[in-house]
Amino acid sequence: MSLPFGVDLFSWTIRITPLAAYFNLVLGILATAVSIYSFGYVREMEGRRNLGVLGFFYNILLLSLTLVFSAANAFFFLVAWEVMALSAWCLVSFEHEKAATRRSGMVFLVMSHAGTGLLLIGFLILAQASGSLDFASFHLLASRLSPAQQGSVFILFFLGFGVKAGVIPIHVWLPQAHPVAPSNISALMSGIVIKSGIYGMALVFFDFFGAAPLWAGMAVLAAGVVSALFGVLYALMEHDLKRLLAYHSIENIGIILIGFGAALLFRALGHPMLAAMALIAGLYHTLNHAIFKCLLFLGAGAVLQSTHTRNMEEMGGLIRRMPVTALCFLTGAVAISGLPPLNGFVSEWLTYQALLAGFGSTQTLTRLVFPIAGALLALTAALAAACFVKAFGISFLALPRSEEAETAHECLPSMRAGMGILAALCALLGFGATWFLPIFDSITAAALGVRPSATLTAVNHLVLTVGTARGGTVSTVGIAALLGLLSGLPALFWLVWGRSGRRVTGPTWDCGLPGLTATNEYTATGFSKAFRMIFSALYRPRREIQAEYEVSPYYPTAIRFESEIEPAFEKHFYDPFQAWLMRAARRMRGVQAGSIHAYLAYIFVALIALMLFGVRR
Amino acid sequence: MDLLQNPEFGNKLVTLMAAFVLVLQIAMVGQRWLVMNIRLFGAQSFLLALIAAAIAWYNHAPHIYIAAGLTVAVKAVLAPILLERLVDRIDIQHEIAPIINGPLSIVISGALTLVAYIVGGSFYHPEAQGSGLGHNTLAVAISVFLIGFFMMLNRRKALSQVLALLTLENGVFLAAMCLTYGMPLIVELGVFFDVLVAVMVLGILVFQIRESFASMDVSKLRRLRG
Repeated sequence: MSLPFGVDLFSWTIRITPLAAYFNLVLGILATAVSIYSFGYVREMEGRRNLGVLGFFYNILLLSLTLVFSAANAFFFLVAWEVMALSAWCLVSFEHEKAATRRSGMVFLVMSHAGTGLLLIGFLILAQASGSLDFASFHLLASRLSPAQQGSVFILFFLGFGVKAGVIPIHVWLPQAHPVAPSNISALMSGIVIKSGIYGMALVFFDFFGAAPLWAGMAVLAAGVVSALFGVLYALMEHDLKRLLAYHSIENIGIILIGFGAALLFRALGHPMLAAMALIAGLYHTLNHAIFKCLLFLGAGAVLQSTHTRNMEEMGGLIRRMPVTALCFLTGAVAISGLPPLNGFVSEWLTYQALLAGFGSTQTLTRLVFPIAGALLALTAALAAACFVKAFGISFLALPRSEEAETAHECLPSMRAGMGILAALCALLGFGATWFLPIFDSITAAALGVRPSATLTAVNHLVLTVGTARGGTVSTVGIAALLGLLSGLPALFWLVWGRSGRRVTGPTWDCGLPGLTATNEYTATGFSKAFRMIFSALYRPRREIQAEYEVSPYYPTAIRFESEIEPAFEKHFYDPFQAWLMRAARRMRGVQAGSIHAYLAYIFVALIALMLFGVRR
Repeated sequence: MDLLQNPEFGNKLVTLMAAFVLVLQIAMVGQRWLVMNIRLFGAQSFLLALIAAAIAWYNHAPHIYIAAGLTVAVKAVLAPILLERLVDRIDIQHEIAPIINGPLSIVISGALTLVAYIVGGSFYHPEAQGSGLGHNTLAVAISVFLIGFFMMLNRRKALSQVLALLTLENGVFLAAMCLTYGMPLIVELGVFFDVLVAVMVLGILVFQIRESFASMDVSKLRRLRG
């Protein structure tokens, strides 16, 4: 569907392709849930902050996202893209009285604009080849360019959209900007704003490119694996609940890109059906991640609102004080960990199956790459599960670790409603995945020319199957039924044997020594210690213990403990780059002499040079 | 009487006058006295008005007369009077101190004229309709423009830079005349209004610069740099 408007080259035409419709669907779901949640969430700010500004930019952000997903030409797309970046920046900097917030906002703004610059160059290369800015004229165009141009277009778009999506190593803005925003905004940022980068990649990789070169697929797959693994590794070390979630966004973007990379590889190798499955895996994970990450951020927001801290070490015991929030957060945590039968499991399972199917490919290199990617993805999923055991366990279970957590209370009904919708969707998209899959048919038909949903489901939509002899088969409905049955078993045991037994009630885990306090609890730092040691080559942890004593070192009066990990990407990539940039800028400053005559001379020389250049042509 | 109807003669007349415009421009580069410079500019503008009138006559384009009249009024009379009054009022040194000395400046002007001929030649297509004035006039226009720019570079005082800017504008006017036989009247009016505003704004600015820095030497603006 398209809606023409505006002048020729710079038209404001709306075009709804199946892909655009799908992303608009994701946006619609999130916007509904977050908006309901926000009614309650912003009530606390009433009178203290300018809610009009928040509402204004919130709605501008939603509008610009809709337009990004619906724009029919590069000009309109870039305008909407910029409006999105700017309104997101305004929202991130909403609590601008804090210096850290302003700094994070600035990092976001700078990186976002650098990305837009790359996109602009990419679009201009394509526009030069097609003679138009319309996306319709770019269809399959990139594959007809020369190999050098193809490569540069691919890299420009991958980096440009990668910044927004938060692909490692161009992710540094994400864990800074997401936590400082108000939580409903963080939910939108992680849920859908970073997905605009994924939308752009899907558009470029599967619409502008026909069969992309093999190395392109490899690059996307590699970036996906690296983002997934490093994202979850850094998440494990975080004790700030929202930063932890932000790092998980990077991880999940990585999983989505693994799907996309596999699809690109399969397409280059000539397996459209497998490519379609990998693409579906990526797109389905986009929706799923949007839903459960949004849910988790909303849950974190509810916790933040009632405990006034983002530090997990000061939470604890919240499950008894905020049962609904805890249940919703748990649902999200189970989904993001990829545990059956929720939605995260389905898309991750599809991704695995695609990677495993790649093992059957004929090329030696890809035969090697697919299993490695699969193994690393498995590691990622396991670490993610560990991370959410930590996140949920430390924040919600056991005894409260601070007075704030002690006096925490359940959030307002509209907030619970917003989270409830998303939690229900997590379950629905898990059980009902087989019924949901046919909506991808039109997308894969447009991109790859196949409609795989019929082969992906079997037995009246109850079973999900790869359809090949070596492929796997799974049924989320079956797993759910089995789980239901198994959870009924203890009740059955109790009914049969338990009634006659003796019952003793006592505190948990006190080993017979009563009087446990919060200081006896496992801390988040303690929980992640094992991982810090295993991956110490990556983290390079620094530990400092200082004991103060008066009489003898054996009787310290106070102990100060400090532990931090090395921010590898900042230290080895961004700091040298920044230093180089500053040096170059200082050298360039000589040009700005501040003398009118010098400026006039620049213009004069440029003018004459241009004139002579024009004549020679 | 026959000559007054012959467009061929008209073209030659215009080219001749354009040559005088260039001569006046180079004279301005060499001239050391500010007041004399302003008068040379007035004369140049007057010649320009004559060129416009000639084009209007030979091409039967009455609206160009308005442009010619405005040129006389604004550039040949009003601007010189305003500028001379400014010179009197702010009591400045009447001698221009260029950065590059006089003889060398004239040589550079000659070189710029050469560049202008190279550039202007590429616009000259004898077979095309409507480019009757030939490449001489266009080349002159471009060289007036370039030399005007060079004068702006070469002078220290803000007032003489304003003058250079005005001669540069004359070059643009001449180019527009010989390429299109006059732009639409509304464009011309806009340009004249621009010139008038420029003279006034720059006049005020010059005054202010002198007030603040006790000098009109724009080199001293360097102090504003952070």
